[in-house]
Amino acid sequence: MDSVAGLLQDYLKNVIHEPEHAVLDLHKLPAEFQNFGKELIYFSECVMESSGLAKALAKGNLNVKLPPPGNEVAAPLKELHASLKHLTWQTQQIAKGDYQQRVDFMGEYSEAFNNMIERLNQRRLALLDEIHTLVQNKSLYETLAGQIEQWIIVTDTDTSERLFVSREMEAVLEEKDSGNVLCRWLQTQTEMMQGKDEIYMTELEMENSGIIRYYSVSIHPLNWNGRNALAFVLTDVSSERERLNKLQNMADLDPLTQLYNRRYGMEVLEDWIAQCKSFILSFVDIDNLKYVNDRLGHAEGDQYILCVSVIMREFSPNAVVCRIGGDEFMLLAENWNVDEARERLEVLRRALIGWNGSPGISYERSISYGVIPVGPLASGPVLQASELLSAADEKMYEYKRAYKLRQKKRAR
Amino acid sequence: MENTLKQGTSHNIFTWENLGDIKKGRAYLGEDMPVLVYRLMQYTMLDVLSKEHGDEKANEYFRQAGYLAGIEFAKNVLDLQVGFNTFVANLQKKLKELKIGILRMESFDDLNGDIILTVGEDLDCSGIPTTDETVCYYDEGFISGILEAYTGRVYSVREIDCWANGDRVCRFQGAAE
Repeated sequence: MDSVAGLLQDYLKNVIHEPEHAVLDLHKLPAEFQNFGKELIYFSECVMESSGLAKALAKGNLNVKLPPPGNEVAAPLKELHASLKHLTWQTQQIAKGDYQQRVDFMGEYSEAFNNMIERLNQRRLALLDEIHTLVQNKSLYETLAGQIEQWIIVTDTDTSERLFVSREMEAVLEEKDSGNVLCRWLQTQTEMMQGKDEIYMTELEMENSGIIRYYSVSIHPLNWNGRNALAFVLTDVSSERERLNKLQNMADLDPLTQLYNRRYGMEVLEDWIAQCKSFILSFVDIDNLKYVNDRLGHAEGDQYILCVSVIMREFSPNAVVCRIGGDEFMLLAENWNVDEARERLEVLRRALIGWNGSPGISYERSISYGVIPVGPLASGPVLQASELLSAADEKMYEYKRAYKLRQKKRAR
Repeated sequence: MENTLKQGTSHNIFTWENLGDIKKGRAYLGEDMPVLVYRLMQYTMLDVLSKEHGDEKANEYFRQAGYLAGIEFAKNVLDLQVGFNTFVANLQKKLKELKIGILRMESFDDLNGDIILTVGEDLDCSGIPTTDETVCYYDEGFISGILEAYTGRVYSVREIDCWANGDRVCRFQGAAE
């Protein structure tokens, strides 16, 4: 028979090392050891339950079957289990955004945990502030973007990636033709702006659905989030351009004939002289205009002037044709020589003679002209614009006198 | 002759107001007292009630008293209009302030309302000898009253671990009916 000490010793060894095999057969114990044996089994069960709970906690398993009430050995571990369950719940609430959770009476851990929550909450409040500011700024921006007429696009200088595109600009970029034109233009400007760090002003002309629009563009080099970028601000100046063109036309054109006026013609003449261009200058005079005005009225006289103007424009599409007086015209043409000019004007004169005027009204239409060459190749002294015009005028009078002489001989 | 100047209703019928102005009434001794005194009243009352009505009936009286206290406490001390998490945080804070115990939430089922929570250093039982029984019947009622006042649902709360049966925290399980 095993000794009592041996039985108890084997049992305790199994309790510690192989709890699944720990069995104490009370029948083998003498009567005076029966109660002790029962208490030892109870104690051992308490230890084994505690050990099981400790192992589960060590693995982070909180959904474990807890030792039953009455196991006082396991009580501190059950308290730890309760604390861990509570911390798990609290952490879940924090993850859901509840920063009111606080841990009490867990020593340094409580302090660290509560500090963490406090800081998380402060950061959250700071972020909320920031979000609020951003929302305000976005709202302000959207209001501004809705109010201002400029289109804005911001592109990365190195990659051409679009970092920001205003709504109106987006719509243009989505259109097939204008979008392609705009993309190419942006690319060209981006390449041109490489290495520049000052605002650059330019213009853009773009056709959309057959209508040409003009844009004044300012290009702003930026550094945004560590990236080099260009902000293009486009202002539609089409109506201003149209008004400017009208004013320009009013300043440069003769109101009756829509040919250039004397001021513009003299400006071109002086410009060409300054540039040492070779060209011809022709002074053209309408014959018999005074007679038509006096006998047939100024309305018919104006018709006569218009008739000459139309024919002159058609015959000289590459020349600058100006009405410089009531019946006087100036014609400036590059790449023509004097003979070529005379030939053309003679053709023009003959065309006029054959022109049919208003029904029932008949009078002789014709022109007189004088042509002089101007430029480095022309012979004679260097003359000023007004002197050149006088010289051409003189030639015209020579032509007119010769013409009248021919007419008198023919009349005899 | 009847005192027509009396302030409250009968003290045999509980009202929050009848708890009185403790500050005024205890100008020198103050509002606090040792836990010993609380337990002296608690366990002597339990003794008398048990002898008079039996243990089970006595425990049930304690549970009902706790329930009444929980309802009144929630109505008069807690904000019942806040979200659940805020409510729990406030309750936890208030129980600590009043030294009733250290409340810790273990789980709450959003769908069915089932709840498990623990109370450490419980006013009723922490430190009492182990007797292999649960004793916090008053707390069971107290917690169910608070939960009912907040959720509007009737709660059945039972203590599953208690200092008296060898544990170090009292664990309560509540189920909404």
